[in-house]
Amino acid sequence: MTDPVHVDPLVTETADRLFSEICGHEAVQLAETRGEAPEIWNAFADTGFPWVSIDEAAGGSGGSLLDALEVLRVVGYHAAPIPAAETGILGGWLLASSGQELPAGIVTVVPNGGSELRGSVSGDELTVSGRALRVPWARVAERIVVPLEVDGQTVVASIDVEDCHVEPMTNMAGEPRDTVDFDEVHVPVAPTESGIDLEAFRFRGALSRAALMAGAIEKMSQLTVSYTNDRVQFGRPVAKFQAVQQHLVWGAQDAALARMVAETAAREANRGAAQFEIAAAKLIANQAAARATKACHQAHGAMGMTQEYPLHHLSRRLWSWRKEYGGDAEWTKWLGKVAVSQGADQLYPLITGGSANFN
Amino acid sequence: MRFTPTELTQEELDLQQEVREFLAEELPPGSHEPCLGMAARKDKDFSLKMAARGWVGMALPKEWGGSDRTAVDRFIVVEEMLRWGAPVGHHWVGDRQTGNVILKFGTEEQRERFLPAICRGELGFSIGMSEPDSGSDLASVSTKAERASDGWIINGTKIWTSGAHENDWFVCLLRTSPMEDGNKHAGLSQILIDLRSPGLEISPIPFLDGSHHFNEVTFNEVFVPDTNVVGDLGMGWHQNTTEMAYERGGPDRWLSPFSTVEQLLREARGTELEDTVADLFGELAARWWGIRNLSLSVARLIDTGEAPSVESSLVKEMGTRFEQEVVEKLVHLIDLEYSPDSESLFERLLAQCVVTFPGNTIRGGTIEILRSVASKGLKGLPT
Repeated sequence: MTDPVHVDPLVTETADRLFSEICGHEAVQLAETRGEAPEIWNAFADTGFPWVSIDEAAGGSGGSLLDALEVLRVVGYHAAPIPAAETGILGGWLLASSGQELPAGIVTVVPNGGSELRGSVSGDELTVSGRALRVPWARVAERIVVPLEVDGQTVVASIDVEDCHVEPMTNMAGEPRDTVDFDEVHVPVAPTESGIDLEAFRFRGALSRAALMAGAIEKMSQLTVSYTNDRVQFGRPVAKFQAVQQHLVWGAQDAALARMVAETAAREANRGAAQFEIAAAKLIANQAAARATKACHQAHGAMGMTQEYPLHHLSRRLWSWRKEYGGDAEWTKWLGKVAVSQGADQLYPLITGGSANFN
Repeated sequence: MRFTPTELTQEELDLQQEVREFLAEELPPGSHEPCLGMAARKDKDFSLKMAARGWVGMALPKEWGGSDRTAVDRFIVVEEMLRWGAPVGHHWVGDRQTGNVILKFGTEEQRERFLPAICRGELGFSIGMSEPDSGSDLASVSTKAERASDGWIINGTKIWTSGAHENDWFVCLLRTSPMEDGNKHAGLSQILIDLRSPGLEISPIPFLDGSHHFNEVTFNEVFVPDTNVVGDLGMGWHQNTTEMAYERGGPDRWLSPFSTVEQLLREARGTELEDTVADLFGELAARWWGIRNLSLSVARLIDTGEAPSVESSLVKEMGTRFEQEVVEKLVHLIDLEYSPDSESLFERLLAQCVVTFPGNTIRGGTIEILRSVASKGLKGLPT
C-alpha cells in the first residue's frame, strides 16, 4: 500500500462543484422543513463519494481516508443535509470491518454514548434490544449499523430499518437525530477485525465531526467577510471599522486553525495511530466553533439571526457537531491523562511528535 | 490565504534531536532559571556556543558565515530554545531579522562587515522604530537624518529601545527627506548606527517591575557615514514592512509561557494532581499542537519564497492572546500567593508572566494594528 499524504485535488473540485450547484440556501432550508433531501443525496451517491475509503472489493469506491475526510470537509462547508459521514467512514467502515455487505442506499450508525442497547449472542445469532438515541437520519436510512460489545468482543449489527421503530427527533440545526427502538432484532453475529472496537469508533466519529466543522467554520468566515464588505453604515462598509475587523480576524483564525488540525489529524489517521491528533483536533474544533460562531454572528448583526440569511445553517450545525462524538470535557479529560502521564520532560515532545510519542 | 499542513522531514527531525541533546547538556532542567520566551537574558557565551553549532544566522548563505539552512530549520532551533527557556537574548534580533534585512537590502560591504559577525553570535542589535510621538502610526516618525559631507547628521529621539544599553548596533527608521503631503511612507530610510557614537545618549526607561530592558535613545548631532545606509534612500518603509514579516508568526509569539506550564508539571511530580489541573495540561497540549502547526506552515511558506504577511499577522495576533490566556488559566486554577521571590520556581515564573505578559500583545505591533493588516487580506466567498 502506498501512503497518500495529499488529497487528490479532483476530489475537492468535484465535491465542491456538485454542492455549489445543488446545495444552496433554499435547498438546505427545504431539507430542514421536509426532514430529508433525497435529490441532494442521490446526486451525491451518483458520484460514489459516500463510499470513498472503503475498498472496492468490499463494495466501496476505493480511495484513501484522507480523500473521504476531504469530502466531509466540503460537505460541512456547504452545510449539505445528508448523512455522508454515517454512510461512509463510520457505518460503511464498521460494515466492511466486520465482513458485511454494503447496501446501495443510506446507512446510519448508532453513536456510542447515551443509548441503552443490549446485545446477546446465541450460536451464530445476535439479538439486539433497547433504545438508541440521536441516530442521524435513521428515518431515511436503509440500514442501521449498531456496534456493540458483547461478551468481550466487538460485533456489528446491520439492521434493516423496517425491523425497528423510528421516532423522528432533530438536532439544533433541524437535522434528523432520531430515536430508534429495537425489540429483539435478530441478525447474524459479525465480529470486527482486531483493533476495531468501540473506542476506535468513538475516535473515528470525532474525526468525522472535526472535518465537517472545519468546512463549516471556513464558509462562515467567508460569508462574514463578504457581508461586512457589502453592508454600509456611517457611509462606509462596516468591515472598515476596527471593532468589526476584530471579529473578521478571529473568525478567519478559527477557520484556519480548525482546518489545520482536521487535516493534520486526517493525515495521521490515514497512516495509523492518531489518537492524540484526533482528540486534540476535536477539542480545538469545538473551541473554534464556539468562538467563531460568536464572532461571525456579532459581525452580522440582526441579519444573522434570521432564517432568510444562510449563516444559521452553519452556526446551528456547528453547535450540534460540537457536542457529537465528544464535547469539550470528554476530550480535555482524555488529553489531560495523556499529558500528565507523559510527565514534564515529555510534554513538549508530545506537542511536536503527537501519537508517535506514546503508546 | 492558505495554511497548508506540513511536517518535519527526517533531516529536520535529526536537527530537532541535536538541539534537544545540546540543551539537555548545556542547561539541564533544574540548573537554570528558564527565561520566558524571547524576552530572554543576554548571555553572550551561550550565543557563541549556539553559533559554534551553526545555529545563529543559520538561514543566511554560507558565503556570509551562515549555514544556508531554511526558515523551517531556524523554526526548529528557535522553538526548542524558547520552550527550554534558553538565554537567547544576545543574538535574538540579529538572528531573527537584522541579518535578513542586511542580506536582502544591504551593500556587499555591509554584508561582509555584519553578516559573519552575526553568525558568530558576536553582535547584538537594537531596533529603532518607535518615537515619543510615533507608535502604532509608525510612518509619522520624525527623527531626522540630514545630509552632511560623506554622511548624515541625526537629531531626534527613539523610545522603547530594548537592550540599547547592552547592544552594539541600532537599526533605525529615519526621515531622510521631509514629509510630503499625502505620502508619509516616502522619504524614510533605514540606517545602521553604532550605539557608541558620540552624541548618542542612552537613558533607561524602567520596566514596570523595575527591570531594565527599555531605553530612550537621543541623537544630538550624531554623525553616521554614508556607508551605513541600508538599501535605497527613501525605501525604508518598504524594507521595514518586509522586516516585519520575519518578525511575526514564529514560535516567539506563542511559546512564552511554556516553561512555566512545564515547571508546574515538574513540581507536581509524585503528588496527586487535581482533575482541573490535569485537564489544563490536556487542553494546553492540544492548543499548542494546533497553533504550532499553523506557525510551522508559515515557515514552510517562507521557504517557498512567499512573504506571508497576512498569515503571519494572524498567527501573531492569535498566539500572543493565547499566551495571555494560558497565564490567566494558571492564575485561575492555582490558589497560591506567588511572587517574584517565591521559593518555588513555578511560582516565580508565574508571577513574572502575570506582570510582564500584558506587553506580549503590544510589542512588535499591537494586536489592533495586526488586525487591520490581516483583515485587508481576508477573502470572502468565492465568486
